[in-house]
Amino acid sequence: MFEFLSLFNVNVINSSIRLATPIVLAALGAAMCNKAGVLNLAIDGKMLIGAFTGIVATYFFRNFTQVGIAHPILATYLGVLTAMVVGGLFGLFFAWMHIKYKVDLVILAIAINMLALEVTVYLMRVLFKQAGTWSDPSIVQLPSITVGWIAAIPFFGSFLTGYNMIVYVSWILAVVLSIMMYKTRFGRHIQAVGENIEAAKAAGISVQRVQYFALVFSGVLAGMAGSFLSVGHLTLFTRNMSNGRGWIGNAAALFGFNSAPGSFFAALFFGFADGIALRLQNVTDLPPYIVQLMPNILTIVILAFVSYRAKLRELKRTQQ
Amino acid sequence: MKRMSKTMALSALVPLCALILGILVTSIFIFLAGTSPLSAFEVLISGAFGTTGKVWPLLITLGQATPLILTGLAAMYSFRVGVFCIAQEGQYVFGAITAAWLGVALNLPPFLHVLVVLAASMVVGGIYGLIPAWLKVKLGVNEIISSIMLNSIAALVLEYMVAFPLRADQGQKAQSAVLDRAIWLPQFVQGSRWGISFVIAITLVVISYLYIWKTPKGYELRMVGQSARFARYGGVKADPTILQTLFLSGMIAGLAGSMEILGNYHRIMTGFSSGLGFDGLSVALLGQSHPLGVVIVAILLAGIRQGAQLGLQINLHVPRELGGVLIAMVILFIAAENVYRPYLEKLYDKIHAPKKELDHV
Repeated sequence: MFEFLSLFNVNVINSSIRLATPIVLAALGAAMCNKAGVLNLAIDGKMLIGAFTGIVATYFFRNFTQVGIAHPILATYLGVLTAMVVGGLFGLFFAWMHIKYKVDLVILAIAINMLALEVTVYLMRVLFKQAGTWSDPSIVQLPSITVGWIAAIPFFGSFLTGYNMIVYVSWILAVVLSIMMYKTRFGRHIQAVGENIEAAKAAGISVQRVQYFALVFSGVLAGMAGSFLSVGHLTLFTRNMSNGRGWIGNAAALFGFNSAPGSFFAALFFGFADGIALRLQNVTDLPPYIVQLMPNILTIVILAFVSYRAKLRELKRTQQ
Repeated sequence: MKRMSKTMALSALVPLCALILGILVTSIFIFLAGTSPLSAFEVLISGAFGTTGKVWPLLITLGQATPLILTGLAAMYSFRVGVFCIAQEGQYVFGAITAAWLGVALNLPPFLHVLVVLAASMVVGGIYGLIPAWLKVKLGVNEIISSIMLNSIAALVLEYMVAFPLRADQGQKAQSAVLDRAIWLPQFVQGSRWGISFVIAITLVVISYLYIWKTPKGYELRMVGQSARFARYGGVKADPTILQTLFLSGMIAGLAGSMEILGNYHRIMTGFSSGLGFDGLSVALLGQSHPLGVVIVAILLAGIRQGAQLGLQINLHVPRELGGVLIAMVILFIAAENVYRPYLEKLYDKIHAPKKELDHV
């Protein structure tokens, strides 16, 4: 009976939180975009681009600049920053295309997702002569930071600390966004756009500014999530490294009704599904594929449930 | 009349312009690999559409294009009815799994066996197509997200099936048993992959054109695609039309997977699909959701991939991903058509301006 509980040890919780982090970042960005009325399906591709630029920039700063040679860890932070900037630039490109030229975001997203997959492998082959995976021994992983007084808290302390910077940033962002959305002027503007774009426009809110912000913001987060995969979690780049995490982030945002806390907890939940699947694979005879199927099926079930509720609500509103 | 010809000219000019822009941008990547773009594209084209050697590259391209035509056609049906279902990849994989399984499990006279396998794969693909359609129509689930989930489910089921129930032996590679030679679909030229499947695909393209543009059912389909509410006023119920169309779409994608197994691979293995179903989406998008466009683009895309692999990578050591980069660039420029469309219109008017004056005289 209690053997089942042994599945949930501190390691599982720690690894689940690590697995959840890119999904959390993707979900927070996706939720913001959904609020702003710009469906962003390119998060997965931007994450992949972030993973690639993150590790390549780290390699560059580490080996070819004075700062990186003297402080290897600083080079990694600069790599993460570069990935965020590049992700943000892609977001800016999306916003510019959509707002200025009315380009269809879904088709643009399909192109960028495909481009990210092919270009990263192409460049990996051309620049580093590697086909599947690239890594360099000089690259230093983003360091884990353990805060002494938090670790000292009984029971909770052990899984609240001991992660790298990006994990903490994702938590802080979730809190800051939750406050921003309800307590600030700009946050309320985003809420208004999310409720009804036309009404927001009529009320004098700059919808364009909100949409620019949402797409750039989600790009920055996707870039950060990507660099978490390549230099935060491991120090390597592999073909299709994001592996659908961006899409899971999109699903998590919908699951969390596009609110910051909702998406945060939904993404955390998906991370735990992954972590437990990994653990089950180690301690049981279940074929790994069946375990990996669970989060996918769960996503569909949850989406069906969430969408049905939204549909009912919509029906009620139109009847009134 | 004048306007009509202008719209038609532009609908051909835009993809052409996107192709040229795509080639220009891709050239930068070829430079990075230390090769001259000119010779690279020469190798790419001869690797794609050449008519020399024992097996002509052109025929291999036509063989490779066959599943693309079908998955493109499947995506086209979905877009035409106004649903952005992108689960063709999953339907294609499930069609293939069904074929590999029934191809071994059943013991029937060859001709009947082939028919049963193809029919079963179509039904399985169709049912897999119904899932996102039903979720969309009844519950309002975004079909893009549900399709993505269904694709990854199909990929995992494939991994499981070839690793356990369908596995032929305990060798290194997880793959199913080879099908009996009697039920292989014939190829016109040995080793070209170009065979009876291609004829079936083209036949379906023609039938699809007639169905969508020449039958009442097809008219309903297009009406629902343009506006579900409008169709309702016209006495067409959107929901059944969407369900039927996506079943049809899934059937075609399932058939594509099935014919790849019977006509080409003769067994199923891990990583069997390599995004072929997903390429169907690009084919439908670039082909302007028209059967003729689908055929042209499918052959073009198959040629690019084929030329990049057999031409570029082997002869010039330019990574084969370049083909994918080119395709993605073209999609990008198609998506961004609004940016350069005004210039094309101006150009068109300039060329036709003198003629116009003559008309007035």
